[in-house]
Amino acid sequence: MNPFLDQFAVAALIGGALAFFVVRFLRKRAGGKSCGGDCGCGTTKPGKPGRS
Amino acid sequence: MAGPAPAPDAPTREVTRHVAIAGNPNCGKSTIFNALTGLRQKVGNYPGVTVEKKTGRFFGSHGEPMELLDLPGSYSLQVRSPDEAVARDVLLGRLPGVPRPDVIICVVDASNLERNLYLVAQMLELHIPVVVALNMVDVAEKNGVVIDLMALREKLCVPVIPMVGTAGVGFIELRQAVSRSPLPAPTICAQMPIVLERETMALAKQLPVAPEVARGEALLLLTLHDEALDALAHHDRTIIDLTRSTQQRLTASGIDPLSAPVDARYAWIGQVCAAALHKGAGHDSASLSDQLDGWLTHRVWGWIAFLGIMALMFFCIFTVAQYPMDWIDGATAVLADFVKAKMPDTDLRGLLTDGVIAGVGGVVVFLPQILVLFFFLGILEDTGYMARAAFIMDRLMSKVGLHGKSFIPMLSSLACAIPGIMATRTIENRKDRLVTILVAPLMSCSARWQVYAVMIAVLLPSGSAWLKAGIILGMYLLGLVTALLMAWLFKKKLLKGETPMLLLEMPPYRVPSFKSIALRMWERAGLFLRRAGTVILALSILLWALATYPKPANADATPAEALAHSAAGRMGHAIEPLIAPLGYDWKIGIGLIGSFAAREVFVSTMSIVYNVESNDQDTAPLRDTMLGEKRADGRPVFTPLVCLGLMVFYVLAMQCISTVAIVRRETNSWFWPLFQIAYMTGLAWIGAFIVYQGGRLLGFQ
Repeated sequence: MNPFLDQFAVAALIGGALAFFVVRFLRKRAGGKSCGGDCGCGTTKPGKPGRS
Repeated sequence: MAGPAPAPDAPTREVTRHVAIAGNPNCGKSTIFNALTGLRQKVGNYPGVTVEKKTGRFFGSHGEPMELLDLPGSYSLQVRSPDEAVARDVLLGRLPGVPRPDVIICVVDASNLERNLYLVAQMLELHIPVVVALNMVDVAEKNGVVIDLMALREKLCVPVIPMVGTAGVGFIELRQAVSRSPLPAPTICAQMPIVLERETMALAKQLPVAPEVARGEALLLLTLHDEALDALAHHDRTIIDLTRSTQQRLTASGIDPLSAPVDARYAWIGQVCAAALHKGAGHDSASLSDQLDGWLTHRVWGWIAFLGIMALMFFCIFTVAQYPMDWIDGATAVLADFVKAKMPDTDLRGLLTDGVIAGVGGVVVFLPQILVLFFFLGILEDTGYMARAAFIMDRLMSKVGLHGKSFIPMLSSLACAIPGIMATRTIENRKDRLVTILVAPLMSCSARWQVYAVMIAVLLPSGSAWLKAGIILGMYLLGLVTALLMAWLFKKKLLKGETPMLLLEMPPYRVPSFKSIALRMWERAGLFLRRAGTVILALSILLWALATYPKPANADATPAEALAHSAAGRMGHAIEPLIAPLGYDWKIGIGLIGSFAAREVFVSTMSIVYNVESNDQDTAPLRDTMLGEKRADGRPVFTPLVCLGLMVFYVLAMQCISTVAIVRRETNSWFWPLFQIAYMTGLAWIGAFIVYQGGRLLGFQ
């Protein structure tokens, strides 16, 4: 495998993982009321009919 | 269900009516909400499942879209706890951004009509159209309770729909009743004494609220004690002073403003029940529920049953889940070996096999155990056993200054601390609620299960399922006992207060709905896999990067030297002096740091650390790698004391950023979550230290 491609793919995956957490944090901050977990407690953004 | 439920993403049309579902706790509000909206709001056979309003959309009998609000249960509008306050504020139109409902569906438990009618009496005072959903008529019939529907409709002057929410009976009629246009406001309510009525109307005129609810609001104000009046936030000083002077005038004229409205409502309920409620023969005989309660809430047998149920649950988890776990383990190893065979030895291959496959696979393997755990928790919730567990725990809880009601949030925390902490909203006293929030995360949640399971696999590679279940039960009991001790300490020193009395409704035992339990397990599996495919995957990639870079300058360095040189290795070495007294080496330190945000990441971190360090072409299960791990002097790293110490550490440590976020929200302060992190981390260290050093002093390994 081309070493450049190898390093590029690794860097892209690490960058993607970092971006995932940054986007997640920003979305949570902008979303207002949120329990902050993926526990299924049902607490999500208010005022969205059709969502529990 | 009576009509086709609309898809949640049905085309948005303007909502024609805002409908609220209100009623006493555990009368079936969420079941009716789910049936009308097609949503899957959590239901359970114990009071306090819903602690926050939930919104959905449904269509009336003519296809008109309506918004449906599921409110937390309350016995009256004179609220005692934060969840009841939500219901009152919505009904009185006090909640910003939530319109006052156009219609209230007041759900009434037909088998407890008399008690449920108190809230109906208060609803009728609000002058909002009310439809009474007389739920559980089948249970009432079975108990020998006969309700004369015509007489009840005549007395209440509102539509009364007999229903069996769980069997889909009565939904067509309910939709029709809610869709009726125009829906008249109630014309009948409990008659107050003339002086009280006059003073109420005079006060109502001064209130800055909608004229329809002014009388109801005035009655609520007049029934408040001095302290409650002072604590009012939604009225200004003038209104509070006006209320006080009205109360004084009423007292002077021989009417107790606090009890007179209550007496008047009960007198009215008496008239309604005399006309509409007939108790047949056999009503007073002990039901099966009562007979079962004789055993399950007994001061000795109750405890034996509680411990027996928990032990059986853990035994089944170890035995039933073992086969699918072996399959997942095998599939993960095959996948990793396939990638290793097909790709050259590069960083990308390392990232895929040692990071992604080892990290995510190490967590996914526990899915079967988590599902069996939720199957049992679903049965306990649906049968009504949760309330019994709270009752038998009350004796113990009262010794630490709390009551049994605090135990329900703690039991909910067995699944996840977040719904557990939210369930504390049913606790009336602020200090008791805070103490319960502080100790609830000590109950072993499902994320801890993965750490326990991997450590037990290392501790007892070929032990019997009963022995493993016994150790797990011990860990759960350790969490419970520590929670009680800490609650006692907090009540004694930090949040002093009287020990409250337990007032808890015992729901009748019901046969659990396996469809509902299967749905919940399906949802839980979805959540678990979504988390594994997002958070755990991203964390695994980052942890692999931390465990791989920077690389040592010496190209001939062994994988172990490379790991020690990496950022994760340096972090592990940095905290080694802190954790060395617990018997942990720097690699376990990496696991502790990696799992700071979420406990289950410990498993994926250890998978990554040992895979990065390993030179093997074949992928071995984490358990075998950990069993073979040696210190520099050749001694094994994971001795029985280290394994037990690690389990104790994870029983007591906070290690969950989502719980920190929810505690911050529920306490509206950063002090309490930070305090919680500090005390739990301290406890975890001390607990692991006692196990390791104490065990060594006693001659154990």
